[in-house]
Amino acid sequence: MRHSLSLQIGPVAFRIGSAWRAPLDALAALYAGYPTPADGICDFTVRLEPDKPWRRLIRPSVAIRGDYVLPDAAPLSLAHGLLAAEMGMNLQMALGQKTYLLLHAASVEKDGRALILTGESGAGKSTLAALLGERGWRLMGDEFALLDMDNGLLLPFPRAISLKNGAIGVMEAEAAPERFGPRLIGTPKGDIRHLRPNADALARMGEGAKPALILFPRFGEAPAVRSVGAAEVFMRLTQASTNYVTLGRRGFDALTRLIATNPALAIDYPDTATAIGLIEDFRQELAA
Amino acid sequence: MSGTDDDQSGGNAFVPTRRTVLVLGAVAASTVVTVRPALAQTTGSVLACEIPVPGPQAGGSYIGPDGSLVAPGTQGAAPPLARPLRGEEVKQLLQSGTTPAGVDPTSAQAYANYIRRLQAGMSGFTCYASLQMPR
Amino acid sequence: MPGPQYHADPEAAVKSVALDGLSLIFHAPSGMTHIVAPPAPEILAALRLGPAEVGELIARLSAWYDFEGDAAADAIEARLAELESAGLVRRA
Repeated sequence: MRHSLSLQIGPVAFRIGSAWRAPLDALAALYAGYPTPADGICDFTVRLEPDKPWRRLIRPSVAIRGDYVLPDAAPLSLAHGLLAAEMGMNLQMALGQKTYLLLHAASVEKDGRALILTGESGAGKSTLAALLGERGWRLMGDEFALLDMDNGLLLPFPRAISLKNGAIGVMEAEAAPERFGPRLIGTPKGDIRHLRPNADALARMGEGAKPALILFPRFGEAPAVRSVGAAEVFMRLTQASTNYVTLGRRGFDALTRLIATNPALAIDYPDTATAIGLIEDFRQELAA
Repeated sequence: MSGTDDDQSGGNAFVPTRRTVLVLGAVAASTVVTVRPALAQTTGSVLACEIPVPGPQAGGSYIGPDGSLVAPGTQGAAPPLARPLRGEEVKQLLQSGTTPAGVDPTSAQAYANYIRRLQAGMSGFTCYASLQMPR
Repeated sequence: MPGPQYHADPEAAVKSVALDGLSLIFHAPSGMTHIVAPPAPEILAALRLGPAEVGELIARLSAWYDFEGDAAADAIEARLAELESAGLVRRA
């Protein structure tokens, strides 16, 4: 392809190729400071291609392609090329990741203990994770948590955080302007702005952490905390994992061990300050 | 689900036998749940999706009121849509019956039923699954 | 008239983890995972002693447990049907 960029993110190396330069310029700026893959060897390739040959120049239309593709994917406009690159990386992980058990979850770490925040899109886990990342926690990832099936550690996958609509303003008040990507308006998911994790998260992207608590946060409800039964946790985590079924026995053992050794709580919260307060309480209980 | 212990009563009660009660459940109960492959929860992050109504394999078929494919021009059937429906439009259609822009409201129900009948392997299924409809 | 014999796979083919009153079962031959509630795990354990018809299965279970719930045979057959759909039990 005309242009390409390679990125190392946690244990995964990507090559992103593009028929246009602009999306890669935006990607390079967003991922400033990330290492390049050793020896240039990449695990996954994303390709941003014109939906039809003439759409490279005329009303440019960016189709997300790569090692793995999904049918039904709608192409994006060139203005949203950065988003296409991000979705392309998500897609490669969702369909192609086989080394680690993949959970659709955010994860943060403090004092050697990792929290897994999981739930449906829009439940607020990305925003919570981003805020915790500015409050002394290390952001390990906002989209995918990687579980090492051999040793049970959670591995970092610190992609740029995808902030949507209201969450953008919340984080603009918290993080330095140079860590943000452009504001993308009118995407299929509304307005989106990407935020690069802080220097500490980048410096430690090779450092795993022991899971300590599984959280199911739900935004927009009166505050409540309830324990979640192990079987329910198991069911919900298998539904939050795109590769559980393909990993067979190893996936089963890793997931049952994760659940057997860690408590799980569902928290409802009316605002992020309440959620963070609850999470800090849990952290202190775990440390006691 | 939990057992209770009964002591065995009787004359030779030097060793009380503890027997657990096994609840057999109602005939209609469900005691086995199989884990299915899941892409739905993650798909929202990986897909700005659309559903063609009907899919490209339909070959010009129309859509009957129950969502099945029928011969073109069948009485009461809806014509193929000129453009695919976007994920958000489908969500609105299925949840609140809102007719997407440019779509004939009298046909909206037929299109909705077509989408509900999508199965794995059919064009648009992954998009449908990603909309996280309550099951 | 004898009914069908039910078979379960031997212990080596199945990895089972008990959590929170339920059992998580990994069935190696199919690679599938199931979450099962009592009396399903107990039925599987009873079938591992060897294939059995419903009557024999009830006899094995009543040697270990008291039953709660009416119509034991109907309930057990319903449970067996579920286990069959899941591929954990087969009829011969």
